[in-house]
Amino acid sequence: MIVGFLVRRFVWMVVTLWVVFTVSFFLMRAVPGGPFDRERQLDPQVEANLRARYQLDRPIWQQYLAELGRLVRLDLGYSYRLGDFRVSEIILQGLPISVAVGIVGLATAVVLGLVAGCISAVRPGSLLDVSLMTLATIGIALPSFVIAAVMIILFVFLIPLFPAAGWGSWQHLILPGFCVGAPYAGSIARLVRSAMLEVLSQEYIRTAYAKGVDTTGVVLRHAMKLTLLPVVSYLGPAAAGILTGSVVVEKIFCVPGLGVHFVEAATQRDYTLAMGLILVYTLLLFVLNTLVDLSYRLLDPRVELR
Amino acid sequence: MFRNWTKRPARFFQTKFRQVGAAGVLVLLLGGAVWALRASSLPPADFTFSNLGEIKTVDPALVTGSSEGRVVDALFEGLTRWHPENLSPQPGVASHWEISPDGLTYKFFLRPEARWSDGTPVTADDFVWSFRRFLHPETAAEYAAELWYVVGAKKYTSAQIELGDPVEVELLENPPGALPFAQGITLRGRLVGIQTGDKVQAITPLPMPPHDLNDSALGLGNTEEGPPIYWVEIDGELRRFQKGAKTPGTEDYRWLLYDFAHVGIRAVDRHQLEIRLRHPVPYFLSLMGFYPFSPVPRHCVERFGYPEWTKPENLVTNGPYVLEFRRIRDRIRLRKNPYYWDRHNVRLEVVDVLAVESYTTNLNLYFTGETDWIPIVPAEVIPELRRRCPEEFHSYPLLGTYYYLLNTARPPLDDVRVRRALAMAIDRKEIVEKVTRAGQRPLRSMVPTVLTVSVPEYVPQEGPEFNVAEARRLLAEAGYSGGRNFPPIDILYNTSEAHQAIAELIQAQWQRNLGIRVGLRNQEWAAYLSSRRQGDFYVARAGWIGDYVDPISFLDMFSGESPLNNTRWKHPEFDQLLEQARHESDPKRRLALLARAERILMDELPAIPLYEYVSQNLVRPYVRGFYSNPKDYHPLKDIWVDHDLKKKILPRRGFWAWIR
Repeated sequence: MIVGFLVRRFVWMVVTLWVVFTVSFFLMRAVPGGPFDRERQLDPQVEANLRARYQLDRPIWQQYLAELGRLVRLDLGYSYRLGDFRVSEIILQGLPISVAVGIVGLATAVVLGLVAGCISAVRPGSLLDVSLMTLATIGIALPSFVIAAVMIILFVFLIPLFPAAGWGSWQHLILPGFCVGAPYAGSIARLVRSAMLEVLSQEYIRTAYAKGVDTTGVVLRHAMKLTLLPVVSYLGPAAAGILTGSVVVEKIFCVPGLGVHFVEAATQRDYTLAMGLILVYTLLLFVLNTLVDLSYRLLDPRVELR
Repeated sequence: MFRNWTKRPARFFQTKFRQVGAAGVLVLLLGGAVWALRASSLPPADFTFSNLGEIKTVDPALVTGSSEGRVVDALFEGLTRWHPENLSPQPGVASHWEISPDGLTYKFFLRPEARWSDGTPVTADDFVWSFRRFLHPETAAEYAAELWYVVGAKKYTSAQIELGDPVEVELLENPPGALPFAQGITLRGRLVGIQTGDKVQAITPLPMPPHDLNDSALGLGNTEEGPPIYWVEIDGELRRFQKGAKTPGTEDYRWLLYDFAHVGIRAVDRHQLEIRLRHPVPYFLSLMGFYPFSPVPRHCVERFGYPEWTKPENLVTNGPYVLEFRRIRDRIRLRKNPYYWDRHNVRLEVVDVLAVESYTTNLNLYFTGETDWIPIVPAEVIPELRRRCPEEFHSYPLLGTYYYLLNTARPPLDDVRVRRALAMAIDRKEIVEKVTRAGQRPLRSMVPTVLTVSVPEYVPQEGPEFNVAEARRLLAEAGYSGGRNFPPIDILYNTSEAHQAIAELIQAQWQRNLGIRVGLRNQEWAAYLSSRRQGDFYVARAGWIGDYVDPISFLDMFSGESPLNNTRWKHPEFDQLLEQARHESDPKRRLALLARAERILMDELPAIPLYEYVSQNLVRPYVRGFYSNPKDYHPLKDIWVDHDLKKKILPRRGFWAWIR
């Protein structure tokens, strides 16, 4: 059954990639401005030479077919703007870094979210609950660059624990990871709290208490699993959001991941790089969602995969 | 509940399995994070600086932009190089040169000890080959037009050939034994005819008897329209070339261009290079020190092709440094070139070039001691920097003008009185004091005043002063007394806080001083450029950094046929003055002509200059050999670090130092 599910998903993925490719291809070329626009405008002849070099002088349908052909052969071509590199090289260098930051972010989000959510749910209405949930709301509401600025002032300048920016050691991971994960930690905390509250009111929990299990045991052993369901379903989009939405944090901490490439490729009309990144992100979203669906099945065998 | 109990053993196993699985995933993820960081801790560099973004390429022929320039200038060296203080052209690969009295022929004598980083000598042939590559349409060098001063160069780049021109035909096949990316077999000849479909344009009489050239052999009966067929006389023989060779009797080719042998670049011998110009260019020696005109290693480019030859493992350079590695959007590491001719004067062994873009992040890195030089700082901290570390913050006027373009094709801006009124109602002092704040100087001429430091004979021509009463009078004269009935216009600018703040201020000044309402239109970079090009604006923000220290760099873009002229302003006298200046060999008279041209520009005001850019370098005091100059040019060759002072100044950082 799982195999059939995966095959169906794969077919859909190919179709989705094609649609995304087509829409992005024409959208990118419909936007005003091109990859060779400079403030210092090029001589028309020089620009014509450039366009010929990148085959932008051909009719658009020919360009479309040529690019689709390359894509089928898994060749994303050379970047327009970072001309010394293939798009695949840029992605291979940037993706692991984005993923590393994403993992730290996700770990932060899950750990902080779970702990805060559980504590709040166990003592609903207490001062602890209110302050934790206020913190969670602040975490959701504050944009990541504000969190980043506060973190930098605290842990780079006041207490020099971490480097200000850059890449090269595990210390470089912590602040960006935390800033990326913080808003999600807030959301997870609120999710966990409400799910846990619901679970805790169920019959079998009362039975567990009646058997003499203490609160910690009840929460961790009996209630946790059902609580995790909404969290897991949230993790898929959250992971995708963390991977794609880390642009600001990547910029502030100068993390050489994919986020900054994505924005710059779009603003600089780097057609090939933008296309490559769009497709990679589509692929990531698809894979993550499939993983979430699979994990549903593991957590709750009643769920059927379709 | 009961059912679960009976199934417990199986469930138990499943749970354990899942826990192990979950743990496995966790280990994998953390392992992945560690893998992403693998081998990324590095021994520290001698000197680290921020380069404000990832560079486009290290191929000198293809670069544009100051970030690229800083790296390419360290890797390659042209015929001359600029003095780090006063920018005068100094010997580079050329040890000395001779200029003919008419200023048209330059003879460069290359130093025999100049070497590529693989030990092979740099020769005049390398320069000829590099300039040819630079001009070739296939390279599509963005600065190509800057070399069109050379005889025949423009014809070569634009592949414009006329009947009777000497041409070169590059065939598809490579010569036997050539490197994979070498030029194909090239034939030289004379273009004697161009045949498009049934029409033939040919030199009469054809130089050779067309004994077999009856109509059918030429395919003239064939009405099918294909690519044009070029008739070329090669060694007394007529050969016909067509892209794709669809027509029988024609040959296919890769490029058919004006013959490079007739372009004014030639190697006299191994160490002597001769360049002939179309008209005198007073800044030509400086131009030869500009990084796009650096030579590239033929043996390396022909072996790997672009872009493979730019990979650190393939790249061969001739400048003070070689490329050790590149990590995209992280850093570029440069190492001293052991073969550089002047290696004894290169004092840094390892240099790191950081690709940090955000101004604030750069500042953080600077204050945590991770970078020694940042080329720009956020405007809002400048007063603080001036107070706290005045000896580290260097601000110096730059050869750049920040100005507003007026679309003279659109009423009411087609009326010069309106343009003057707008210009006279702007208080530039308020802009530099309230918004930019880095020490920019208000500017009323298109040519920045700092130019006179290097070219003292030039007198920049200023536009009208800030004068509200006169501005109102002019506006009334144009029929908009007190701003009544003034058509709605707007200011176009590209997305940026600084541009927005300036636009808002000018909007307020115009409202206050003239009583006119002006809208603001904000577009992201590429869309903004596209609007400017298409003339889809009333007033647009613009900036111009001069490529070379000469007034023409700031005037040329307003000539009628310049593709840079977005204002739609055309003035025959202005164009004529520029043309005269171009062919004037007496420097004084030439500058006088240019000043007259600028006078016209500033009377007509298709553009309103606002202020002169300034450099905003923040440099550690132990960095030596760093000078301020109008081009913000700081060659790594001349920079060095006073290590004793560095140890004294830079305290130990990190958590443990802090605890103590």
